[in-house]
Amino acid sequence: MLHVDTLHAHYGRAHILQGLSFHIAPGCALVLLGRNGAGKSTTLKSLIGLVRPTSGRITLAGQDIAGHEPHAIARAGLGYVPEDRRIFTELTVMENLEVGRLPPRDGRPPWTPERLFALFPNLAAMRNRPGGRMSGGEQQMLAIARTLMGNPRLILLDEPSEGLAPVIVEHMVHAIRAMRDSGVTILLAEQNLHFALAVADQAAIIEKGRITWHGPIAALQADPALREAWLAP
Amino acid sequence: MSALLVQLLTGLSGASSLFLVAAGLTVIFGVTRVVNFSHGSLTMLGAYIGWSVLTRLPRGPEWFILGIVLTALIAAALGALLETLLLRRIYRAPELLQLLFTFGIVLVVQDATLWLWGPNDLPLPRAPWLRSFVSIAGERVPLYDLILIAIGPLVLAALWLLFTRTRWGTLVRAATEDRDMVAALGVDQKRLFTTVFALGAGLAGMGGALALPDASANLQIDLNIITDAFVVVVVGGLGSLPGAFLASLLIGVLQSFGIVLLPQATLVLVFVIMAAVLVIRPNGLLGRAQSTARGEAHAFALVRPAAPVLRRLGLAALLLAACAPLIAGPFLLSVLTEMLIALLFAASLHFMMGPGGMASFGHAAWFGIGAYAAAFAVKGLALGMGAGLLLAPLIAGLAAALFGWFVVRLSGVYLAMLTLAFAQIVWAALFQAVEITGGDNGILGVWPPPWAADRRVFYWLTLLLCIASALLLRRILYAPFGYALRATRDSERRAEAIGLHAVHIRLAAFTLAGAAAGLAGGLSAFSKGSVFPNFISISRSVDGLLMVLLGGVQSIAGPIVGAIAYTGLFDLLLLATDQWRAVLGLAIITLVLAFPHGIAGSIHRLWLRGREA
Ligand SMILES: Nc1ncnc2c1ncn2[C@@H]1O[C@H](COP(=O)(O)OP(=O)(O)OP(=O)(O)O)[C@@H](O)[C@H]1O
Ligand SMILES: [Mg+2]
Repeated sequence: MLHVDTLHAHYGRAHILQGLSFHIAPGCALVLLGRNGAGKSTTLKSLIGLVRPTSGRITLAGQDIAGHEPHAIARAGLGYVPEDRRIFTELTVMENLEVGRLPPRDGRPPWTPERLFALFPNLAAMRNRPGGRMSGGEQQMLAIARTLMGNPRLILLDEPSEGLAPVIVEHMVHAIRAMRDSGVTILLAEQNLHFALAVADQAAIIEKGRITWHGPIAALQADPALREAWLAP
Repeated sequence: MSALLVQLLTGLSGASSLFLVAAGLTVIFGVTRVVNFSHGSLTMLGAYIGWSVLTRLPRGPEWFILGIVLTALIAAALGALLETLLLRRIYRAPELLQLLFTFGIVLVVQDATLWLWGPNDLPLPRAPWLRSFVSIAGERVPLYDLILIAIGPLVLAALWLLFTRTRWGTLVRAATEDRDMVAALGVDQKRLFTTVFALGAGLAGMGGALALPDASANLQIDLNIITDAFVVVVVGGLGSLPGAFLASLLIGVLQSFGIVLLPQATLVLVFVIMAAVLVIRPNGLLGRAQSTARGEAHAFALVRPAAPVLRRLGLAALLLAACAPLIAGPFLLSVLTEMLIALLFAASLHFMMGPGGMASFGHAAWFGIGAYAAAFAVKGLALGMGAGLLLAPLIAGLAAALFGWFVVRLSGVYLAMLTLAFAQIVWAALFQAVEITGGDNGILGVWPPPWAADRRVFYWLTLLLCIASALLLRRILYAPFGYALRATRDSERRAEAIGLHAVHIRLAAFTLAGAAAGLAGGLSAFSKGSVFPNFISISRSVDGLLMVLLGGVQSIAGPIVGAIAYTGLFDLLLLATDQWRAVLGLAIITLVLAFPHGIAGSIHRLWLRGREA
């Protein structure tokens, strides 16, 4: 579904992504694990085009997207849920969803507000509430729902469990599994190993802008030394 | 009582067309974050195009409506063209350059309009139905006034529906908050911006055309309406449509009553209202605090003392300047005198803009106030030149302190818009107060006393005062006050945390800059022997900006080099062509397109790239 090949990215003169390569098969859920500042968010931003990669190849379902405009990449089927959610605070829940709406894709049934409310029941009760007056967890759900309205082939989730209460995290796990079951491929950036284990089947470890390990998440679970390596400060 | 009613209705009808223009300005600003100076030009084009369309159509009301709609559509198309060809390229440039860029467009459009439609005012021949009256409470009220009064709320309602009930409107509101996120969700920002711009331009054009039956198409519309629109948008709250509506009602009614009650002070009244609103609600009636969009802050380089080589060069230039009268003829000498005055003017603007971080689009106000103060001292109070040159900086400084008190707490765009509006108001007030200022005829015969009547002596005097003042400003920048000023510019919060009082420091800088510009104005009055309202014209303010930007905001020598280069170039330009506006405008546009980060910033970038390669 997604192939990333020797991706480089800079912020000004700081070389952040230093030749990153990985790939995700259709229908899989890959988690990108790494310490603070390892480059997880930068990777996702480079994929969606908010950071312009300096070199490297990115293909989504066979289509080259590296260096394209964010809106073109989104229309090609990449959905992006940012770390800080970036809900439109002045817009209601329904309006936030409307901004994310794109035409249906591949003849699959499109995501509708009703389907999303079934996935995130909390949102159903607050259709007309402005985004600025929602809790962090509600905003996180809305951010994911808004991106799903674009019927993405692959969704990028940047630390969706960050700062959420355990109950809400539980909720999020269910929602992401349901998303996957409906055929959306998932790329998750995480620090929370438990959350990652609950939703992902593949893992990649990123360190200083490079992928240092890539494999099934079960292998990671079975290898405490490896876990130590990326969890240790 | 009924006379009051009629006046009220007149005011309300004037407010409608003002609201249309201001609504367009505020909508465009909301999404693109560009304060579009050329919005007034679109209004002016609306008036001219409306004239051309309406005079070709039959006279019936249905044709009038068709003509207005057609004009709005043409203006919208022009706006879309302007956006795709030009404005799109400067969305990420610093604010000041954006303002300057759109001012370049104003200049070009002015000459283009003059070329297409000629210099004469074009009144619209009024069809009978446009001249008819309706009787209300025993008074005859023009029908057209009532129609205009209805159009304002109708347009407000239509815009409200558009922004809340359509997908397009929802996208626009979302983009106003976070344009990058909207793009990441698959919305083409470019198309969105172009359509928003077209809407704003259409509103501006419609506003211009609707005002036709009560006025005429003329070449002053652009700057007149943009001043009023700036005031309306600031009073209403930048980005708020209902705010713009309320504010245009307020200003419209105020102006129409002012004309009856206090004809000399209408504009001053507008300013007083604006000041009052800003003191009580710094973000306008219905505005919210402006958050700077992501990545919009611009780092400034430090201002460093000049290298010894440059200092020696400066000293040599000064010596040369001091010897100039021994060689130069009277014409060259008067050009040199003007250059010195320009130098002080630019240095004073640089003082508040560079180290102070306060961009001014109305710096000519202080220059003009100084000039008029000096002229009035000599002609009105029969004082000597010494007193005139003392009063010039004093009065200008006082005025700057008073005005600054209201505006120094405002941020970039607000400050730029309000300084411009203030300068326009001072200009118009001087124009109106014929008994004191002679109006358009100015004050003549402001000559130096016999001992300084010799061109050479006056030149030396100017040299002494200008260089001394410029050096004094420079000295202040390296004194603790200068460091404090830069600290408040770079981070107000951090400056306050170390015990600096940001507002007081800025106010002091504002006042000093005003006083220095006032001195330049005073000298100019004696050098020319007369003062005219055009001492305060917008183009003089822009001259100052260009001088500073040419030389570079970051260096102290910048404005000096800029002033000399600019005065020279401009004199050549005036000699060479009648279309100096178009040439100057095109030059500004090209400069900003070529150096979107400012000349100094662009050179810095090139240097960095060179080192990496
Ligand atoms: N806008 C920016 N400008 C300059 N440097 C940045 C910017 N954003 C991030 N960085 C730097 O890039 C590096 C990678 O940051 P990134 O946000 O991708 O890390 P991350 O893995 O997502 O970390 P976290 O777990 O804290 O979210 C960090 O060293 C960070 O300081
Ligand atoms: Mg991150």
